[in-house]
Amino acid sequence: MTELRFDRQLYSGEAVDQAVKAFAGFAAFELEQTDAHWVVRVTPRDPKLARRLLGELGNHALGLTVQRGGAK
Amino acid sequence: MNSPIDLHPAALLGVRARPGSQALFRWRPVAGKVLLTSLEGNWLLLAADEFRRFLEGDVPEDSELHARLKAGNFLRAHFDVRAAADRIRLRKRFLAGGPNLHLLVVTLRCNETCVYCHASRANMDQVHTDMTEETAERAIDLVFRSPSPFLTIEFQGGEPLVNFKVVKHAIEYATDKNRAANKRLQFTMVSNFALLDDEKLEYLLRHRVQLCTSIDGPEKLHNAQRKLPTQDAHQRAVHWIRRVNEAYAAAGLDPTLYHVEALLTTTRETLPLWKEVVDTYVGLGCKALFLRAIDPFGFADRTRQRLEYPREEYLRFYRNAVDYMLELNRQGVQILERYASIFLTKILRGEDPNFLDIRSPSGAGIGALAYNYDGKVFTCDEGRMLHEMGDDTFLLGDVRSHSFRELVGHETVRAMVLASNLDGQPDCVSCTYQPYCGTIPTFNHKNQGSIFGRMRESSVCAVHKGIQDYLFEKLAEADPETLATFDRWTTVRERDHFVQPATSVSE
Amino acid sequence: MTTPIADLPAGLAAADLASAAVHLLVDEELYPLPAIYGAAYVFIDRCYVFLDRPEGARVRVSLAAKSGAADEAALRALVGEFANELLSCAFRHQITQDNRVLIETATMQALAGAMGQPSLDDLAKFDFSDQGFDDPLGIAMSWEEKHGKKAPKAESEGAP
Repeated sequence: MTELRFDRQLYSGEAVDQAVKAFAGFAAFELEQTDAHWVVRVTPRDPKLARRLLGELGNHALGLTVQRGGAK
Repeated sequence: MNSPIDLHPAALLGVRARPGSQALFRWRPVAGKVLLTSLEGNWLLLAADEFRRFLEGDVPEDSELHARLKAGNFLRAHFDVRAAADRIRLRKRFLAGGPNLHLLVVTLRCNETCVYCHASRANMDQVHTDMTEETAERAIDLVFRSPSPFLTIEFQGGEPLVNFKVVKHAIEYATDKNRAANKRLQFTMVSNFALLDDEKLEYLLRHRVQLCTSIDGPEKLHNAQRKLPTQDAHQRAVHWIRRVNEAYAAAGLDPTLYHVEALLTTTRETLPLWKEVVDTYVGLGCKALFLRAIDPFGFADRTRQRLEYPREEYLRFYRNAVDYMLELNRQGVQILERYASIFLTKILRGEDPNFLDIRSPSGAGIGALAYNYDGKVFTCDEGRMLHEMGDDTFLLGDVRSHSFRELVGHETVRAMVLASNLDGQPDCVSCTYQPYCGTIPTFNHKNQGSIFGRMRESSVCAVHKGIQDYLFEKLAEADPETLATFDRWTTVRERDHFVQPATSVSE
Repeated sequence: MTTPIADLPAGLAAADLASAAVHLLVDEELYPLPAIYGAAYVFIDRCYVFLDRPEGARVRVSLAAKSGAADEAALRALVGEFANELLSCAFRHQITQDNRVLIETATMQALAGAMGQPSLDDLAKFDFSDQGFDDPLGIAMSWEEKHGKKAPKAESEGAP
């Protein structure tokens, strides 16, 4: 399991949610919020794909955040 | 007395510039002088000392320098707002026009294999890459939705002659629609000519289709880069160029105005052959030569290592070739370089010839549209090529399911308009050549990862700057024969023969 | 393990050869957040990009080569390229704010000119039912709606 902490001032919560949904078939996810972060705990179904999955998830969340115009 | 100043930017720190007397200007050292350009694209070449006085606000009202600066609208106290607005309005006249150039890619099949192929060609058995008549009709329906009173339908491929049946159908369908629409409608075809025969030629001439082909220079170079199984691509192209030009002359058309247009793609092999390339074009009766640099689309991407070259080498090639062309013009030989003609029309005439890749904003989506064989519509041909390479960034829609306004109002078109507006582009915003220049969003996207690009690292920017530096050096030299040639290169002579005849609705 | 990059100020950028990644610390006062987003986005086709904020007004940008392998020179080049793109984005952000009216005017003219007038088919497809339309002065009401005869009230029970 790997934990990704998306800073709430840098990533949109909806974007992170949408990114998680997009990759739902490839991993098990647990979501949590703190004051400062959207926390996503990822357990990839195939450990060999972990780096790629985490990276693409991050890119997806960033891309969707940019599309939304930012973290607001 | 003021001493001459060193034009190196660091040395200019010693100038006691007094802002306030100058209207907005941009500047650049050219040929030992200083080129100024204004907001509206006026220009002036100043000696270094004159430039210092302009910066320091030390220009007596009764001086010759004052008169020149005032005439160019460079002085704030005498700034003529109306004149500036009129000039800008003239330069940007194309904004109100709408797409006038519509590229119909009637097939991807091609009988030639070219090392730099732009078009992501298909083999001759790939008939599924032929446009159908129905798709052509839907595309032409959209063409006629353009608000532009001028429409040019350009047949491309692959090799458009491979799908001649649909070319004919498209011509007849469009001509019929134009009876009611009454636009200034023209057809052009970009072809390698190898599949021409007497019957096809007769049809194309009768329907006044402008014919363009590619000539890469002398026979050996051309055949090495543009391969037919019969190894005679150059010979075939030359044969039909001569036949077409003879047909125009036989029809009583002025040969200086009516002749086959030929296009060059400059590869690394072309660079040392600048004289041979010009001589080849002149020998074929061509009056114009477009010294296009290679671009990153299609095959050229895969063979880039072999074909590409630093842009400084291209600019040396360009200078040599155009110097030679100017010399030929002095000897009475009419041959024009297309890049120079485009830039000089903007510089000397204050008009925009509406070359879609050299204007701000660019013509992608608002000046041109590209319709692929399968009905998909793109902002431009380069956008279509990127689609064939797996990148759908510039796909707008489909002729069957989208209206004209949906296509042109697409957010991608909006993004490209924004990205190619030089008033929002670092470097361009303060570049002396901004009033005359343009950027290519598809090129930026392909080469630099965003449609905005970074001009300081852009080979297109390097080419545009280099060509304009060359032209202003010539203007600074002020050789009368060169200036006379430049004047001819910017004189537009309408080729009305290619405009489809007007027919009344009742006919 | 991260190591500093030789020709850059300490603390500004570090490389992690094992992960084929670089980390850059970007000052948000020099490079506004929209510019950081813009530059980061350009790299998502070849890098995994992650942003975080280790301290106030500073954003750490992590770029990991998707291929999973990169030597020192390649990572140094990545830092340089990102820095150039970041500068370009920051500068563009400033210019577009300064020239906003000019850019908007040209864009509107370009798109309006290209689209032309709507056809009857376009108007037929237009959705006039959008409820978000505020009409405090009743301008969109027809004359009949505003001034026409009111329909007679229904008879109430028990009326004589």
